[in-house]
Amino acid sequence: MRMTSTKFAPVAQGVYPSPVHAPYKSTRLRGPLQSALRVGAPAASLPAFQIPLALVKPLDADLTAQGAGVPLGEKIGVTGRVVDEDGLPVTHSLIEVWQCNSAGRYFHSKDQHAAPLDPNFFGFGKFLTDENGRYRFITIKPAAYPWGNHPNAWRPAHIHFSLFGNVYAQRLVTQMYFPGDPLHVLDPIFNSIYDERARQSLVAQFSIEESVGDVMLGYTFDIVLRGRAATPLGL
Amino acid sequence: MTGLTSSQTIGPFPHEGWRWAFDATQAMRPSGAALTVEGTIYDGAGQPIDDAVLEAWAPDSAARERDQPMPAFRRVASGARGEFRFDLTAPVVRGNGEPALYVTVFARGLVTHQFTAVVLEDDAGLAHSAILQQVPEARRATLIARKKALDRYEWNVWMQGGQETVFFDYT
Repeated sequence: MRMTSTKFAPVAQGVYPSPVHAPYKSTRLRGPLQSALRVGAPAASLPAFQIPLALVKPLDADLTAQGAGVPLGEKIGVTGRVVDEDGLPVTHSLIEVWQCNSAGRYFHSKDQHAAPLDPNFFGFGKFLTDENGRYRFITIKPAAYPWGNHPNAWRPAHIHFSLFGNVYAQRLVTQMYFPGDPLHVLDPIFNSIYDERARQSLVAQFSIEESVGDVMLGYTFDIVLRGRAATPLGL
Repeated sequence: MTGLTSSQTIGPFPHEGWRWAFDATQAMRPSGAALTVEGTIYDGAGQPIDDAVLEAWAPDSAARERDQPMPAFRRVASGARGEFRFDLTAPVVRGNGEPALYVTVFARGLVTHQFTAVVLEDDAGLAHSAILQQVPEARRATLIARKKALDRYEWNVWMQGGQETVFFDYT
């Protein structure tokens, strides 16, 4: 397979969040204090976990089609392309998404926010990228919600993404934010990423082209996973 | 080179969206020799982390688990006391010092997933383990699962502190 003779480049300073970012309180005792150790292991570039196709159902990509009725809120389509740092498409690869509903409440026993649950919306899905690395899913635009980290702490609206990539070391979990949200600058989780470009890489773009008639608005969110071919030998 | 997408925490609420893989993990019934690796995940104050998720990957088991719901892969949520357990198919080749499983750790408050790996204490090849040799000697013990009984091992994860687990950035 490709990319066997080169190495994954170190992640540039500030691109990944700071493991301990004091304003995000839970990082203080949970973020590793030692730097991740650079190690070589053949497993890192073996093909990533391949989900058995029987476990991915076409309807899993439509979060609005999981209840008996239609969920409340603004229906949206989210699409994008997953590539690696070398621009190669990440193909036939599993993506999981999860989010709160249009009132800011997760379908989860531990979410005690006093916003209503929606009997027609559970807020999770999964799907594969295609042969060009492209994905698309349909959902309801999530809302902001309070999280108790500090006075008036409200998370900006976001959708959680979990990506398996094409090789093991490409695994990534992240969050997609919505453009123009005034909560971005106030959010300690978003701002645990110190690099401005890297922070903005998590903000989706509104797309009138990806909107569908009278049915839904569209957003695009492209994702770049770690790559190897661009790394000079010997690094 | 294109700009890498940054990472974010799973937060406290991944469980419903990730349940399909918890369920598939529960449904695994390996037919060959079994191996259990279990332990607790702790924070920097020594408190158990009750909302972590750990994934284990054993690429060598893929062929032997071909008929199983989710070959070579496990996903478990830590319990109320921070406990987790992986039931695995025992490696075909033992004694070469290779990891019995590659583990990825996720949690609220953990802004980037952490890669680590587990080797077995009674592996005859431990002294020649390619992965352990890349780890400073004083920290190697954090990757070694201790034998508790036949094919039953204990391995704990420490996010911080004197016994902080070695986490990897793969080259």
